[in-house]
Amino acid sequence: MQHASTAPLKVEQVTLSGSTMGLAPKMMLLGLVTLGAGLLLDLVAGPKGLYHFAHAYLLGYFFCLTIALGALIFVCLQRLTKAGWSVVIRRLAELIASTMPALAILAIPVLVFMHQLYPWTHAELVENDAILLGKQAYLNMPFFIGRVAVYFAVWIWIARKMLTLSLRQDESGDVELTRKAERLSAPAVILFALTVTFAGFDLLMSLDPHWFSTIYGVYVFAGSMVGFLSVAILGVKFLQSRGVLRDVVTVEHFHDLGKLLFGFTMFWGYIAFSQFMLIWYANIPEETIWFEHRMSHGWGWVSLILLFGHFVIPFGGLLSRHVKRDARGLVFWAAWQLVMHLVDIYWLIMPALNLAHGKVGAPGYAPALHAGFPLHVLDVLAVVGFGALFVGLVMRSMRGVNLVPLKDPRLAEARGFHNF
Amino acid sequence: MNPLDDKMRWLEKAGDVDAKAPQEMHGLLVEFDSPETLLDACRKVRDAGYTKWDALTPFPVHGIDEAMGIRMTILPWLALGAGLTGLAIAFGLQIFTNGIDYPFLVSGKPLISVPAQIPVAFELTVLFAAFTTFFGMLVLNFLPEVFHPLFRAKRFPRMTADRFGIYIEAKDPLFNRQQAELLFTRLGATGVEPVLSRTGRAPMPVMIHGVGLTLTLLALIPPALIVKSRYSKSDKPRIHIIQDMDFQERYKTQSAHPLLPRGAASMEPVAGTIARGELNEDDHMYRGMAGDEFVRGFPMALTESVLNRGQRQFAIYCAPCHGLTGVGDGPIARRADRLAEGTWVAPTSFHTELVLEQAEGQIFHTITNGVRTMKPYAAQIEVADRWAIVAYVRALQRSQRASIDDVPPDIRAQLAQ
Amino acid sequence: MVTITQRVATLDNTSDDPRQRQPLILGNNDYTSITEKVCGVVEDPKVKKAWLIAFLIAVSLTGMLFALVGYLIVTGVGVWGNQIPVAWGWPIVNFVFWVGIGHAGTLISAILYLFRQNWRTSINRFAEAMTIFAVVCAGLFPGIHVGRAWLAYWLFPIPNQMLMWPQFRSPLLWDVFAVGTYASVSTVFWYMGMIPDLATIRDRAKHPLRRMLYGVLAMGWRGSARHWHRYERAYLLLAGLATPLVLSVHTIVSFDFAVSQLPGWHTTIFPPYFVAGAIFSGFAMVVTLAIPARAFFGMKDIITIRHLENMNKIILATGMMVGYAYAMEFFVAWYSGNEFEQFAFINRATGPYAWAYWIMVSCNVISPQIFWFKKARTSIPIMLVIAIFVNIGMWFERFVITISTLNRDFLPSSWGYFRPTLVDLGMLVGSFGLFFTLFLLFLRFLPMIAMAEVKSILPRPNGHGEAH
Repeated sequence: MQHASTAPLKVEQVTLSGSTMGLAPKMMLLGLVTLGAGLLLDLVAGPKGLYHFAHAYLLGYFFCLTIALGALIFVCLQRLTKAGWSVVIRRLAELIASTMPALAILAIPVLVFMHQLYPWTHAELVENDAILLGKQAYLNMPFFIGRVAVYFAVWIWIARKMLTLSLRQDESGDVELTRKAERLSAPAVILFALTVTFAGFDLLMSLDPHWFSTIYGVYVFAGSMVGFLSVAILGVKFLQSRGVLRDVVTVEHFHDLGKLLFGFTMFWGYIAFSQFMLIWYANIPEETIWFEHRMSHGWGWVSLILLFGHFVIPFGGLLSRHVKRDARGLVFWAAWQLVMHLVDIYWLIMPALNLAHGKVGAPGYAPALHAGFPLHVLDVLAVVGFGALFVGLVMRSMRGVNLVPLKDPRLAEARGFHNF
Repeated sequence: MNPLDDKMRWLEKAGDVDAKAPQEMHGLLVEFDSPETLLDACRKVRDAGYTKWDALTPFPVHGIDEAMGIRMTILPWLALGAGLTGLAIAFGLQIFTNGIDYPFLVSGKPLISVPAQIPVAFELTVLFAAFTTFFGMLVLNFLPEVFHPLFRAKRFPRMTADRFGIYIEAKDPLFNRQQAELLFTRLGATGVEPVLSRTGRAPMPVMIHGVGLTLTLLALIPPALIVKSRYSKSDKPRIHIIQDMDFQERYKTQSAHPLLPRGAASMEPVAGTIARGELNEDDHMYRGMAGDEFVRGFPMALTESVLNRGQRQFAIYCAPCHGLTGVGDGPIARRADRLAEGTWVAPTSFHTELVLEQAEGQIFHTITNGVRTMKPYAAQIEVADRWAIVAYVRALQRSQRASIDDVPPDIRAQLAQ
Repeated sequence: MVTITQRVATLDNTSDDPRQRQPLILGNNDYTSITEKVCGVVEDPKVKKAWLIAFLIAVSLTGMLFALVGYLIVTGVGVWGNQIPVAWGWPIVNFVFWVGIGHAGTLISAILYLFRQNWRTSINRFAEAMTIFAVVCAGLFPGIHVGRAWLAYWLFPIPNQMLMWPQFRSPLLWDVFAVGTYASVSTVFWYMGMIPDLATIRDRAKHPLRRMLYGVLAMGWRGSARHWHRYERAYLLLAGLATPLVLSVHTIVSFDFAVSQLPGWHTTIFPPYFVAGAIFSGFAMVVTLAIPARAFFGMKDIITIRHLENMNKIILATGMMVGYAYAMEFFVAWYSGNEFEQFAFINRATGPYAWAYWIMVSCNVISPQIFWFKKARTSIPIMLVIAIFVNIGMWFERFVITISTLNRDFLPSSWGYFRPTLVDLGMLVGSFGLFFTLFLLFLRFLPMIAMAEVKSILPRPNGHGEAH
């Protein structure tokens, strides 16, 4: 049986060099400038522009948030299952999740733009709408802001706890720290499940406050995992191109990440199909309207892109063992699925813009007054801006940190592991 | 010894028919006691260039594929092909049966509705792929195999339990017994045993033929019975399996009854009584008559809500034939015109003198009892709704013959523009 | 070698020390002793009295079941408590319950295999057997629920005498395909896993008849490495196929309810919620069966406390998932603003079937919480009690879903109250009889532990053990 290299790790294998670190502030600056340009652009475009900017901001923001959330739950699940193989990539996930405080600050504009995003914040709409009146106890501004604060408090706490436990072990090598993280992971997963569900309900589902779906939280979770796993594959490849993690993360680990990506692609397809199937089949107007918005006025194409691009094609692409063990093949599909995850979030958020436009100046929360397919340069700016900012944030978190948990008791197992 | 064993001797004999036949060397079985020594030996045998050889292990030993130089099986491709075939069959089956051969509309779903076909499509994909995987594995391994010379080897039984073996066939071009024995002893073999087999083809035991033939014949009986009953006629009544469903202990409407008056199971109401809510005394309201004449005027006050109600009911019951404006151009009438079959009586236009002059009571009467080929609507439309329809018919007639005087003065100016 | 195995024997393998993976098999077991132990059960010429008594009870309950089925077919479905508005009563509850039980077997053999959870090797064989027998019990109920059971072939797409085809847009037909595929693929998977072990029994057999019977079943398997290669690939493929299959089965069962428009049934969380519930109940059943089986047949060193603890952890996790679904249903019913939806859930918790609802909540959500404590997870009596609670709770979950939605129609004048008849009760008890009859026969005549797989994870004396 051949074993991966178990030679002692060199410094350049575990820490990012200064030249690469220099990219971090540049990326963050690029992101902020792009976002600022977007804001300026929409101010020129008038009140409708502000509506569009708010939605584009939420798009870019939620995209990055799901990746951080995926990283967070990945860490917790690996700890919970006492996994060995994933030790070599766990630090990367911990660092991605550690951007949570910055993401909390970036959530403030979402709260500022609440009026543009969420119809239920308009008192005059709620007064004339029996359904919204009934939901007022939940969908009101103080409670909403409070809930968002609680979600971030929970996420920041878990992310910080997981990272510090792991970092402290780098120094002391204390086995007890592993046990502590494992004990913490079980309640963390429960808190995570609840907060992600309600964050999905609040930030995305209430864009269309009449509509509801019990599976929505699971859908957000499935998408987050697809997003994070793609980022993990691309991230490790990027780091390896800079010399880090070479001979540490081997083809075996990529194979496993590929299997997980394949599995969560299927899981996403399963959850998305379950939601669609039940609503389509029962055909109750108050529920189907949500899919109606996404299957007409040009949105039908986006739905088809999701069906084929997010599920059918990558399913075929990732099915083979050879693809998952081939560096270029895996990178291609990871990039593909990351783009598709973005399309998914675009598909979740942007049809609500039609509702928002309907709101402007028009009485009542009238669905799809302004029909059409609103792809705009603002969306591109928001995504590019957030993407750059997020990459910069993650890289900044790597400063002075080992990218491999050097004294983890399961490191040897992870480095020596082989797929059957 | 167990007496049963004696009786079962014939079984062993059935298998040993060729025990006395001439034997020849079939191969060499080598025994090892641990997977590690086996793996080492495998590498050596592979490197020595043997081709007709195999390792025998009680469980799959990791790394042996590489040690023996076994190439990847094509099984995954077979499974993929079968899965795609299952997928195609599933969609084809559903489209053909529900969309083409027996189109039947249910719960407003399209005849060929792809989302509803996905569950069955998925299941058949998995079914085909899984069965192909299993049977493909057997076929590629040439299983089931009734007999193999190894089964006679003394050391073989433990190789499915706790020992490991290498078997080199005599057919191998490099086969040389002395050399091989020497090689394996050096490699840590715990035993070497030559395996013999009968020269030529072994005869099939008679028992297998008998059992096979009997089973085949038995299996043919049920389909034969089905075919027989499918293509034969019988004048006997069918079998009543659920007796109390087929023969219920009750009297059906209009059946005879020996005890009741008139000998009928259905009885008339007691003379001089009227059921609650069925008095219907008001001739104007319920029959549209006053004495022998149809009444002019309505039995209720005409309000906007009455007219709205009338409009809705008209659209439901009348418009399909008479059309939304009442000129007799409803979709049914238009289709009948198109078909021109000659049996159709065109619906009356409400804007002809005939209807314009009819009393309200008569229109009510027509709705209630029907006229010519129009059927009575008493069973479908409530009395109050019938009057609402009459009122709406009057409004329709007025609308087609309106003059400028009917328009309220304040709107007249707008129309003039 | 001796020193290694001795250390193993005294080790408590439930420790969670991250520095080293704990052994999965205890005692001084090697290839020989595993073979002896597992084959010994099958080869034992004496019939144990306890087994015989259990078998006789199970067989008589099965007899009662078939007598009741005969009575039902001759008399009609009126012998059940099903009555409008509750047309789907007890039999559907039993169907969903039994299908759910089956899921753990496939989960252990397929999903845990893909996740490289090697501890599954000690329990997968009899969990898979449990799957098949549970599906047999499940299949019985829809079969007799159609009333005229002899016309059940109308469900299949074969040209029939009415020149009609089945309705493929109906979720009930999807069920036929899902359960049919599941039953056949699980059987193939189970049987394929058994082939090497059947060959072991064949090669140990002294009696020629025995040798011939097991020989036919083993299909000439001789442990060739070239065969093993294709066999392992086939096993991996079947695991990959069975994983989405097992998810699809309970998903489609949930579609039976959820594609309707009835409040309490039509909710999008149903598919994953049903799957989680199925795994939950299935693991509870595996624990319930494993505890007596390992004690009775002396398998405590193969099915160790660690195996049971792992299963208890899964019970806890899936119990939380089920609890999550209960909570989401309730929240979204309120959030939907739909008064029928809201009533359906208030009615569940406070209406005429509130007792059933609270049995469900306490058994499924509250009782497994004790597994947060390691003491409870590793204590045989506690886990046995909890596992039985979970079985009861999961039966009641299906009861609550089916009955509490149907008994309150949209029109209050059509409201009703479902009461099971003695026939209903008898059939439920009888289905347990059928299940245990098959299971006891399996324990006696087939290898209950996947010997080949267990051997492959034994620590190798002079190699690297794969025990993790």
